[in-house]
This record gives sequence, C-alpha cells and structure tokens, in this order.
Amino acid sequence: MVPLSHYLFLSAVLFMTGAVGVLTRRNAIIVFMSIELMLNSVNLTLVAFSSFLGNVTGQMLVFFVMTVAAAEAAVGLAIIIAIYRRKQTVNLDEINLLKW
Amino acid sequence: MDLYTISFYMFAVLLLGSAIVVVFSRNIVRAAFALMITLLSIAAFYVLMMADFVGIVQLLLYVGGILVLILFGVMLTNRQISVDIREGAIQTIPAVIVTSTIGGILAGAIWSTAWPMREAARSVAATAPVIGEMFLTTYLLPFEVASVLLLVALVGAALIARRERKS
Amino acid sequence: MLTYTDFLLAMPLFSLTVTVLLIIATEAARVGRARFSQFLAITGLLVTSLLAGLNLRESGVAFQGMIATDAASSYLTILLSLAGIVTALVARPYFEHRDAHRGEFYILLLFAIIGMVLMASANDLITLFLGIELMSFCLYVLAGFERTKDKQNESALKYFLLGAFASAFLLYGIALIYGSVGSTNLDAIARAYAGISNQPLFLLGTAMLIVGLGFKVAAVPFHMWAPDVYEGAPTVVTGFMATAGKSAAFAALAIVMIRTFDIGGSTTADVLALLAAASMVLGNVVAIAQTNLKRMLAYSSVAHAGYLLAGVAAGTAEGFAGVFLYLTAYTVTTLGAFAVIGWHERTNDEGTSLDDYVGLSQHQPVIAAVMALYMFSLTGIPPFAGFIGKYYVFMAAVRADLTWLAIVGVLTSAVSAFYYLRVIVMMYFRERDGEHIPLPRIPVMIALGITAALVIVVGVLPSTVLQLFMPAM
Repeated sequence: MVPLSHYLFLSAVLFMTGAVGVLTRRNAIIVFMSIELMLNSVNLTLVAFSSFLGNVTGQMLVFFVMTVAAAEAAVGLAIIIAIYRRKQTVNLDEINLLKW
Repeated sequence: MDLYTISFYMFAVLLLGSAIVVVFSRNIVRAAFALMITLLSIAAFYVLMMADFVGIVQLLLYVGGILVLILFGVMLTNRQISVDIREGAIQTIPAVIVTSTIGGILAGAIWSTAWPMREAARSVAATAPVIGEMFLTTYLLPFEVASVLLLVALVGAALIARRERKS
Repeated sequence: MLTYTDFLLAMPLFSLTVTVLLIIATEAARVGRARFSQFLAITGLLVTSLLAGLNLRESGVAFQGMIATDAASSYLTILLSLAGIVTALVARPYFEHRDAHRGEFYILLLFAIIGMVLMASANDLITLFLGIELMSFCLYVLAGFERTKDKQNESALKYFLLGAFASAFLLYGIALIYGSVGSTNLDAIARAYAGISNQPLFLLGTAMLIVGLGFKVAAVPFHMWAPDVYEGAPTVVTGFMATAGKSAAFAALAIVMIRTFDIGGSTTADVLALLAAASMVLGNVVAIAQTNLKRMLAYSSVAHAGYLLAGVAAGTAEGFAGVFLYLTAYTVTTLGAFAVIGWHERTNDEGTSLDDYVGLSQHQPVIAAVMALYMFSLTGIPPFAGFIGKYYVFMAAVRADLTWLAIVGVLTSAVSAFYYLRVIVMMYFRERDGEHIPLPRIPVMIALGITAALVIVVGVLPSTVLQLFMPAM
C-alpha cells in the first residue's frame, strides 16, 4: 500500500520541476506548459489529501483549479498569439521589455 | 509489492520522466506531447486514489481541452520549431538551486509530519453524485463565480485575439 | 439552505453582476456606443456602493460560509467602487484621445471589481482563490488593452506569466493548509490554528500563501513585475491596478493573517516584517533613480506595500484598522496622481517623463496644485491622508513590539520625500519650455475633485473614516 507521503513527495517533485521550467525557459509557451505542470501537481496534492482525509473538499477545489487553468489557457494563449502576430516571436529574450 | 504499488511506481516514473521532457526539451512539439503523457499519468493517479470523477474530468478537460489549445498555440506561433528556440542557460543553475532548496524544505516538512496512517479510501462508491450535490449546495457561490471566470476568459480572449477593426 | 439573508449580504456582488451583464447585452446588441457602457458602469458602481453602505452595520456569513460580510468588507466594497468610478470617469477621455475607447473596458473593469469584492469578503480559501483569479484575469487583459501597442502587449504577457506562476504557489499553499486542517473554511482554520500553527507543513503552506499574495501586492522580493507592468499598461489601468488591486490583495492578506491566523508575535509576523522593511528600503531607494513618473510611482507603490505590510505584521486589531485606513489614503491619492499623469500623457507615450512636468504650474496652476497635494499626501505630510495612514500603521507596529520596523518606515519616508517633492520642484520652480496642454475634460476634473477632496477629508477626519469600518474602535 502506498502511503500519503509518497503522493506528496511525488507532487512536490513535479511542482519544483515546473518551477525550474518557468525560471529557466525562454519560450513563452513552454513557460506556460511548466505552469500547467505546477497546477497539476497542486491538484495531485489536493486529491491525495482528499482521499486520505476521507473528505471531498479537496476534490471540489480540484474542479475549480481546472476551471481556472482552462480560462488561463484561453487568456494566456490569446496574449501569446497577439504578441506573435506583431513580433513574429514568442521568445521572451527578444521581447525587449521583458528583462527578468 | 502488490499491483497497486507497482502501478504507483510505474506511473510515477512516467509522470516525472515526461515532466522533465516538457521542461527541458528543445523541441516544443515534443514538449507538448510529453505534457500529454504527464496529464494522462496524473489521471491514472486520480483513479488509483478512487477519485474517478476527477480522473475523467482530467481526461476530458486537460487532455481533451487545454492540451489541444496549447497545441493550437504551438502551431500558430512556431514556423521554425527546432531552429530558433534559444536556450536560456543563464539562470539554470540559480533556478535549480533555489527550487531544490524549497523542494528540500518541502520534503523535510512532509517527512516530519506524523500522518495519520489511514489507508486510501477503498470504497468503490462513485464520487460524481456527491460532488454534483456539493456544487449546488455548499459550493454554489464558487460554482457561479467559476462560470463568471469563464465568461471573463471569453470576453478577454476575444478582445485580445481579434484582428484590428479598420476604422 | 439559502435564505433571504444570504442574498442581502451578497447584494453588492449581485448588483455588480447584473450591471456587467447589462453592459454585455447592450454591447452585443450594439444598442449604445462605448460611452453608454461607461454610463451603465458608473451607475452600477454607484448603486453597488449604496448597497454596500446599507450593509455597513450588517455582519454575517452567507452562502454556506463562503463569504462573510461585515463593516470592513462593506467599507472596502465602497472604496473599490469609488476606485472603479474614478477609473471609469478618467477612462473615456484617455481612450478617446487614443482612438481606443471600447465598451469591453467597462466589462473587464466591473468583473475585476467583482473579484476584488470577493477577495475582501472571502470566508473560504476557495472564494479567496477564485476572487484573486477573477481580478487577475481582468487585469492581465486590461494591461494589454490597446492591442496595437507593443509595450502594452508585452506588459500583459509578463504580468500574465508571472501572475500565473504566483497563483501556482498560492494554490500549493492552499493545498497544504487544507491538508493540515482538513477544511478550507477560514472559521475552521481559525479554530484549528492554535493546534497546528507550529506544524512544518502548515507553516510552509502559510509561506506559499504569502508568496502568492506578496506577488499581488508587489512586495519585495515579489515585485519584479510591477515597474514594467505599471509603465507598460495604459495609465488609467495602471492607476486602477495600483490602487484597487492592491487594496483587495491587502484586504485578503489582512483577513487571512490577522483575523484567521492571529499571527501577532509569531515567526510568520517576523517574516512579514522583514518583507515590509525590504519593500520600504528597496522601493524608496530605487524610486529616486527613476525619470519616468509612472515607473517612479511603481517603485513608490512597492514602498507603500512595505508600509502596509508593517500593519499586517503587527497582527493586531489596530494593525487591521491601520491597513484599511492606509489603503483608503493610498487609493484616493494614487488614483488622483494617475489621473493627472493620464491627462498629461500624449498619445505616443510621451509626457510621462519627469522633465515633461517642468513649469506645469505656469500653464495649469490648478492641476499643478492638485498634483502637489497628491505628492504631499504620498510623502506623508500632515494634514493630508497619507500622513494619517502612516501614523496608524506605524503606531500599530510600535505597540506590537516592532519598533525597529516603525523606525525603518519613518526613515524611508524621509527618503521618499526627496523624489515626491522633486515633482513639485519641477512643476513650480522651473521655467516652462514644453508645449501647452489644454485643461482636462469635465469627467477628469470631477475625478480630480473627488480624490483631492477625499485626500483632505481623510487627513482631517480620520476617526470618522475609522468608525465606518471599525464600529467598535
């Protein structure tokens, strides 16, 4: 039987992998995908807690996170495409204002 | 090692392996497909934890919706996929140090917490009726707010992505 | 079950939603032009603040513990509606001048205010999270409202990616707190707090919550987005983001940290105090080097986040009152300052540099005087609103044994006088050689009148304002 802590370790590692992606990658779409990884790791944590606490609140929260992620994808990709249309690049280094 | 444990570790390897491909791949299309495997393995974990409804929604919404949207984004913005994606190696080392420190603290915290060793719920009762009822009773307000949020996404995305009106 | 009371307590939310749906319907049917949407938005916001005013003496929990209405949340609803009204007034001249006046602006503005009201009245981490996301989505889009401007698109992208990154931390924090408590309800968390406040996982959850909210309030070290986004976004949006956005995020922070967690004297309070000191020092020092007024106010807003965090770090009812009073002062002052900048700005982003304000008093003495008033208030010179805000926040910090933080606050305020007063020197003591800018249009004049009057009223009658949201004090 797999204990709760294994699930939590797994999602912590996934969260940090996503964070590394956000901090190191320069392609806006890859950064966005890394953020999706982080959100998924949060969902995994929530379902794990929900399942082991025998309490459905965590699963409810997961649905709201998924809704937000879907809305985020729509808005985010619209912004990315709007920039691409004008600049022909989604590379964050070539987008001058973005010095970070 | 029972079947449950074996499948846990199998999906764990699949999950982390594909996540690493997403984050470090030089080819954006490969990254997007690796993301699909990550999302599928997450769905597998939900099913392992008896959260059947969440698992199905994960398939429909993430794999069927968000991932397709991302693929559209990839196709619309990348004509020269493998050629011109410059790697920003400048920040890699500090980023890895910072995140692994946070991850280490997190792992320590998980380790040191005395978890009630309750087994995962093994009941096969479907979660969908419970969740559906919760949405329309306790979580009525957040449910409505979520619909407002989707409306905002609709208005916002239409506003940004629409082509210029010649006026 | 839902009762009449539930709807009564959530009335401001409903009036906002009805207004926004009306605007969407008229926009879709192309009944009116954008100016009709502006009219609807201002009317709706007035009705909302009226309804919130009626709720000032009500308190209770609605929708199965999802939101809690009390004097503080109703008061903040009024403040947010006011910020919305001022923004809507200023928006039409600003965007018409740029040929970019669209009804969608008011739709997103009102949606953002719905999110902010949810944050200020959240009684559950789920409501808090959804409120934050609703506000943030609207602000991402508003930051890039004029799509033909590259600078705005880029600031929208940067804001979006960093905002989503911060949201992931916020969510992870919520997940860890849920795991330690077994509930996301703030009342349940408050009851469980004494037993779990030293659990590592709960502390880590709190830390991640601070990262997420710290980003929204632009506190050091999570401020890196603020200067670029504030500079790149349309000036009316910057003004709204800097005031209403910050107010809602601080209300949420104060509700969670002071009312739910009761952090007074804990390690969490020390961490917040450190962030506060860092924000004050960095914000004020870097602001000195800025030559663009929008960017300068961005760093100044980082510094103000520091002062506000001092009130949160105090962790007492006094700190809570100080934060709300400071938010009032900061909101009315900064809204006014950005209204002036928006008026002064030319279409191609010129006119926001400090040099452009040289000798303004000779051409437009009234506007220059009003701008000087805002600058005095931001510096914290009595008897204006900014002074009162600082006084209450620093007093709360001293009483909570954070005297060192109050001293840092006073010293950095003295530093800040340098760059705020420099604006006044530029306007009054230099010869004008730039172009003549015509007087602002009537709506902008009204907006300036409202904010300038409030800067003085809040400064002179702080106890009356305090009575509104803290009936007990």
